Amino acid sequence: MLSVKGLRANVGEKEILKGLDLEIGPGEIHAIMGPNGAGKSTLSHVLSGREGYAVTAGTATFHGQDLLSLEPEARAQLGLFLAFQYPVELPGVNNTYFLKAALNSIRKARGEPELDAVSFLRLIKDKLKILHLDDSLLKRAVNAGFSGGEKKRNEIFQMALLEPKLAILDETDSGLDIDALRVVADGVNALRSPERSMIVVTHYQRLLDYIQPDYVHVLAQGRIIRSGGKELALELEEKGYGWIDAAEQAA
Amino acid sequence: MTGAAANFAGWLAADGGRPDAAGPDWLTARRHDALARLGELEVPTSRQEGWRYTSLKALLEQGFVRGDAPLAALQPDALQRILIPGLDSHRILLVNGRYTPAGSAPGDLPKGVRVGGLRDLLAQDPDALRERLNRVAGTEQSLFAALNTASLDDGLVLLLDRAVCLERPIELIHLSVGQDAPRVAQPRHLILLEDGAQATLIERYLSLDDALYCTNAVLELSLGRDAVLKHERIQMESRNAFHLTTLYLAQDAGSRYQGVNIGLGATWSRTELLTRFRGEQAECDLQGLYLAGDRQLMDYHLDVEHGVPRCTSRENFKGILYGKGRAVFDGRVLVARDAQKTDAAMSNRNLMLSASAEVDTKPQLEIHADDVKCSHGTTVGQIEPERLFYLRSRGIPAPVARRMLCLGFAGEIIETLSSEALREQVSEQVGQRLESAPLS
Ligand SMILES: Nc1ncnc2c1ncn2[C@@H]1O[C@H](COP(=O)(O)OP(=O)(O)OP(=O)(O)O)[C@@H](O)[C@H]1O
Ligand SMILES: [Mg+2]
Repeated sequence: MLSVKGLRANVGEKEILKGLDLEIGPGEIHAIMGPNGAGKSTLSHVLSGREGYAVTAGTATFHGQDLLSLEPEARAQLGLFLAFQYPVELPGVNNTYFLKAALNSIRKARGEPELDAVSFLRLIKDKLKILHLDDSLLKRAVNAGFSGGEKKRNEIFQMALLEPKLAILDETDSGLDIDALRVVADGVNALRSPERSMIVVTHYQRLLDYIQPDYVHVLAQGRIIRSGGKELALELEEKGYGWIDAAEQAA
Repeated sequence: MTGAAANFAGWLAADGGRPDAAGPDWLTARRHDALARLGELEVPTSRQEGWRYTSLKALLEQGFVRGDAPLAALQPDALQRILIPGLDSHRILLVNGRYTPAGSAPGDLPKGVRVGGLRDLLAQDPDALRERLNRVAGTEQSLFAALNTASLDDGLVLLLDRAVCLERPIELIHLSVGQDAPRVAQPRHLILLEDGAQATLIERYLSLDDALYCTNAVLELSLGRDAVLKHERIQMESRNAFHLTTLYLAQDAGSRYQGVNIGLGATWSRTELLTRFRGEQAECDLQGLYLAGDRQLMDYHLDVEHGVPRCTSRENFKGILYGKGRAVFDGRVLVARDAQKTDAAMSNRNLMLSASAEVDTKPQLEIHADDVKCSHGTTVGQIEPERLFYLRSRGIPAPVARRMLCLGFAGEIIETLSSEALREQVSEQVGQRLESAPLS
């Protein structure tokens, strides 16, 4: 589904991703952990096509297509979704209007008919329930004045609505209280399917108790330096990242 | 003729000399006074502060002449094309500056309300307006206001007696239709609310084609004690037109004026809003939204005078510029020495969609009192890349995403319009304009 090979990317003069490899199959959940500043968000941004990064080497193939040559909207239309670490506020842009534009753009690109207002409203009401979100959010501007937790839940709500094939959740758990974490995790789990894959970026084992990953990777200094099963997360929780660094040095 | 009068001979009267329109003697005398003043005024140049960024050259070159001919019948579908579906109003139609009963529908009006054409009212009751006209404008020092007075002939009159509240809005439609030559219309609108009266006035300037013409409107508004006026002005003139508005507003104690100025049309447009307070605890709120694209100038001058204590004023103007569009925002708030406890905030924010668009923004606070709360701010910026990326990452194509962000920016002002039908129409117009905007 997603195949990243030898990816190198710069911000300005500074190299952030330094030859990163990652293979994700259909239906798999991959957790990525790693110290602050390691390049986790950079990877999410490069994959989703944000400006400001120069890819200097490597490839990323998604459903057989060269992901890196596509515009951000084309990537989303192909089924890629990024839940932002810091969701952006869009003052004046109505949430319902935004959701409808997004869903219909994606449907249109896939050759599906646009949803009319009634079916659309029915659909979003259903999805809101899953995330325990209040419909008053629909009348407000996108993320504007939302609490930190509301913003994160709104990201997963969008994911539920857009039904991507690959979702990258960048620290969706940070800033959530314990109940909200549970709601978000339930929402994510409800979306698990044999065709839908996810990359879950997190600093905490806690989230992985709820969303059980198939693989855990450690990203440090711009590369995946260790991969394993979910027990790797437990080991990291216990020993920190220094332990892997030391093991690397020794190797 | 001397001075500016010579430059605008065609605007003044059919014979280029004496203003000879109908009306009582006192009015003829006022026209002559204004004409005399025009003989002394000069055509402003860029050396004058208020005209530093705006040239009158293009306007003078058009050689506009006053239109005196009675109007040919409107096309039968014309009215349908200009009405806003769902807007339930008392409608007054002016065509090329002249009150047109055929398209007007004042409807049932409560007692104590007078709405109609200025010329009609002068014919029925010649002295009714003697003390009222020019009360707010005074003896105008502004060239275009003096030109308007010298040719004073028709326009809207809206008079509300004490404590009268109008439920439905008054809708003034100023329609311009192309004529044999480039014509100038100079409507004069008089809006007087006695103490405690309340009304909403929607004022729309539009055209059915891309005709070349000029509108030089002057408004005199007076709010009595505790009166409330919502005043929504939508300038959607033809893209070849020239538009001038000079608006004089005077407010008594406790009154509230909520003005919204939307500027979308005309190739050259200038709006002067001159407001002053006559009593304490009055509020004046001026909101504005303008779009300027290729071959388009939007020029705003605000002059808000706090001469008495404890009044509040808000000036909040937003602009979207694209192509080679140009805008000027020249806002001045004056707080006199005695105007303690004044609360004034002025803001002008501009969204530039192209590198070749240009805005000159100059908010000024002139404060002579020491116990006041005053602020001003301006921004000139681009669409934020973060926001654009967020929308695109959800599958929304870049041009649509840009338009959504522009509409979001404009939305803050559009939302202040009081009727849903009007909000929809304005959003749609803004959206359409942006759709055709070259986004570079
Ligand atoms: N626009 C930028 N300009 C300069 N440096 C940048 C920029 N974006 C990212 N970086 C740098 O790249 C490095 C990786 O940042 P990134 O946000 O990818 O880290 P992260 O692994 O997501 O960290 P965190 O766990 O704190 O979210 C950091 O050193 C950061 O300062
Ligand atoms: Mg990060």
